[in-house]
Amino acid sequence: MQQRFLDPTVLAGIAGLDLVAQTVVDGFIAGLHRSPDFGFSQEFAEYRAYNPGDDLRHVDWNVFARTEKAFLKRYRGETNCQLTILLDCSRSMRYTSHRIDKLEYARFLTASLCYLARLQRDAAGLVVFDDEVKNFVPPSTRQGQLARLLHAVEKAEVGTRTDYAKPFAHLREFLHRRGLIACISDFWEPPESVINTIAPLRFHGNEVVLFHVLDPEEIRPKLKQPVLLEDLESGETIEVSPDYASREYPAKIDAHLQELRSKAQGSGLDYFLIDTSRPLDAALREYLAVRRGRM
Amino acid sequence: MGFFAPWFLAGLAAVGLPIWVHLLKRHKTDPKLFPSLMFFEQREQSSVRHRRLEYLLLFALRMAMIVLLALLFASPFIRRSASAVDGKRITVVAVDRSFSMRAGNRLAQAKDEALKVLGNLKPGDQAQVIALAGNVQALTQVVNDPAQLRAAVVAIQPSDSRASFGELARYLRTLADAQKMPLDVHLASDLQKSAMPPGFADLRVNPGTTLYFHPVGDPAPNWAVENVAAPRRVYDPKRVRMQATVAGYGTPAAKRTVTLALNGKTLQTKTVDVPANGRGQVEFLGLDAPYGFSRGEISIDSGDALAGDDHYFFSVERADPRKVLFVDDGRRPRAELYFRAALESSGDSGFQMETQRPESAAAATLSTYAFVVLSDLGNVPQALDSALQNYVRNGGSVFVALGPASAVLPRVPLLDEAIQASNYAGREGDRFLTVTDVDAGHPALRAVDRFSGVKFYQTVRVNPTKSRVLAKMNDQTPLVMERNIGEGKVLAFASTFDNVSNDLPLHASWVPFVAQAALYLGGGGAEQPVNLPVDSYVELRAADASNKNNRAAVEVLDPDGKRVFSLEEAVKATNFALDREGFFEIKTASGRRSLVAAHADRRESDLAQIPKETLDLWKGTGLIDAQGASGAAPGEESAAEKPWPLWPYLLLLLLGIAVAEAVVADRYLRPPVQERESVKREAA
Repeated sequence: MQQRFLDPTVLAGIAGLDLVAQTVVDGFIAGLHRSPDFGFSQEFAEYRAYNPGDDLRHVDWNVFARTEKAFLKRYRGETNCQLTILLDCSRSMRYTSHRIDKLEYARFLTASLCYLARLQRDAAGLVVFDDEVKNFVPPSTRQGQLARLLHAVEKAEVGTRTDYAKPFAHLREFLHRRGLIACISDFWEPPESVINTIAPLRFHGNEVVLFHVLDPEEIRPKLKQPVLLEDLESGETIEVSPDYASREYPAKIDAHLQELRSKAQGSGLDYFLIDTSRPLDAALREYLAVRRGRM
Repeated sequence: MGFFAPWFLAGLAAVGLPIWVHLLKRHKTDPKLFPSLMFFEQREQSSVRHRRLEYLLLFALRMAMIVLLALLFASPFIRRSASAVDGKRITVVAVDRSFSMRAGNRLAQAKDEALKVLGNLKPGDQAQVIALAGNVQALTQVVNDPAQLRAAVVAIQPSDSRASFGELARYLRTLADAQKMPLDVHLASDLQKSAMPPGFADLRVNPGTTLYFHPVGDPAPNWAVENVAAPRRVYDPKRVRMQATVAGYGTPAAKRTVTLALNGKTLQTKTVDVPANGRGQVEFLGLDAPYGFSRGEISIDSGDALAGDDHYFFSVERADPRKVLFVDDGRRPRAELYFRAALESSGDSGFQMETQRPESAAAATLSTYAFVVLSDLGNVPQALDSALQNYVRNGGSVFVALGPASAVLPRVPLLDEAIQASNYAGREGDRFLTVTDVDAGHPALRAVDRFSGVKFYQTVRVNPTKSRVLAKMNDQTPLVMERNIGEGKVLAFASTFDNVSNDLPLHASWVPFVAQAALYLGGGGAEQPVNLPVDSYVELRAADASNKNNRAAVEVLDPDGKRVFSLEEAVKATNFALDREGFFEIKTASGRRSLVAAHADRRESDLAQIPKETLDLWKGTGLIDAQGASGAAPGEESAAEKPWPLWPYLLLLLLGIAVAEAVVADRYLRPPVQERESVKREAA
């Protein structure tokens, strides 16, 4: 099993996001033994007795052959699910303590989700944002949609600072259909601000998943000597001692993560923390296991 | 404050190095990028501020190290009053006991002056008594015992040596350096002008040394037997000529009676007119000396205060003419003829020549000959060669002539130099060689008039590697070479003694050449002069350690007939200083006996005193530096200052700062405690 887990640094060596996504998704699909229960939509719900006037196309002829009674197959969703991925390209996403920075990891994650949606013939769209919407690919199931999405992901470059208010307000204008919204970001904002901005998407009947991408050094920084730290987005500098980084900072970041998780769950949002040092397929697998429990 | 080597202060420019390094390190503290600083607080700067404090301390320590290093090389000093060391001075009482102090009661006066100085010393004052003669003799250590100091002064006896104020100044400099205290020097002397060194700089004394002069005696007219020219050996008493010079110093013109005595018996008396403040010469003909060593004396009736220089000792030895062995193989009869004629026509040379063939010469007792002549022998028989080698090593001399017979030899006999070829020149058309370079100062070539006009038709070309070349031909080949072997010497002539290979025997320089060479060679090898001034050294043993005679005992009997050396000293002593007038009987390690006559240095006979201006200048040498530094007026002798080096203190300070730098740097570079603990855990 372990050998299927793909190290992010190995993925970084693969040219082309489509190949990365295919490698990741095909790998864990094989691991799941093609379970029929996964996916975002088209789930089987129940059988109903045929009534005159019903569309004969939905009659289950196999059941009719066995029982000589006509039953209709009913599904939970009438249409395919619409997946919209919000990819944060702020400057803080450029941070890394090893080979893969957060943005690169988020790209792999986005590409994998897009590939997964295509396999299920779901409509997938993409919004790339920092303090404004940088790129928008409307959700669609058209031919070539995956290529467009991957191209947009490929072109996603770091911008300035993160501002959730503006792009999410913009997003509400485009998302008319209900669907699944995956927000991939490092969420370097106060949890209350993040949730207050993103939660309104939930009110439209959307299902929202927060992918919190963080570098391991952001969670447990390792300083050998006092250093001058510079904020990637604001440019502010501050001098930090190793003692502080090893004693007080972990407590604060843990409290932050806990608050973000609880506030997200309190607002009906799915929250998933991803460490960029973890294998990507393992992270996706864990996420889908959680999803399966809910659906 | 000053610097002994101020140019090293240029090293202070190196202070820029830590400045540059530390500034560079400051610039290199590049900020580390982090996604968000929302969980960092500004108050944490305190830890960095603490680090910067350490950083600046380290920087200051390194700067101080470089500055101290530059100062250390520049060797700073401060001027401190020499008397400020502990406020004490050493009194040095110097009493002149040179030969001139024998005049009248000068030495007694000097000793009285010295005792007066000692009487003025306060209890606890440190003093030293020294005696000045040929060298400076410390009669006591630096002590504060008046009785010991007085006893030392009273015990001072006159000597026959010559005073040297240069030696006194050198001793005072050494003493001042060793004691590191200022000196008060009291010199009780007749302050003879002739005791001054050649250069005034030799009189310099250290700053802080104060000179006090206590002159004794007055300049007085003095006659002296200045010099006696007497032969070392007498072979024919009737042919001896002696000359004596009588000098007057500050004297009027006068007649003086000069007496020649031998072994205490007056032989001749003559009168000489000595001009005012001048010199007169008297000549004695004939010296009826008995066989063996005789003690001669020439004296005058001066009646002056300094009676010691009214006589002059000389030593003379009556001997039979010495034999010279002329070894010839008979092929060059004219060589023997010319050599014999030259030897016998050179006055009282005292040589008697014998001729032998090489075969018979090997059996002869060579030690009975003054020297041996090898006249172009060619191959020297083995027996003769080894006999000659022993003869030379024991002090004998050999004169080797090289001609056509020698040209075929690989090496020159005895001289052991390689023979390269034979130089031939025709007799026609000026095709001959001449002598161009002559060491005219050498005793054997002193009167040869540079061999002028002598034509050499054939010479043997020798490559000298061990020998000294005394004369060269115009083609730069050596003509006369000399080499000392053991206690003897070998003289080589690269041509023959007849008039075939050259025409030297037909020229005027032939007789003086043979006579001087014979005197030089027949003098006895390392034989030394026998009439010497006091304080001269007589060599008792050759420096050649391989000589078997080097371990033989020497013997010296002083004028009183007492042995100078103990038995242990007799086998080790290499030389001996003639410390007083009189006759010394000496037997060297080689067995040669001689009677050496020692006489006082006649510069002591001039009783003229040093001018007062010169004495003031001498006194001022101890004040020059002190005045230059403190600006004290001349005459303020107590203001003498000396440089006080500061390098020991700077060195200690530098060591302390180096240790502090190491500690601070270690603290600065050491990882935090927590990190060390994590490293330990990982290691565990």
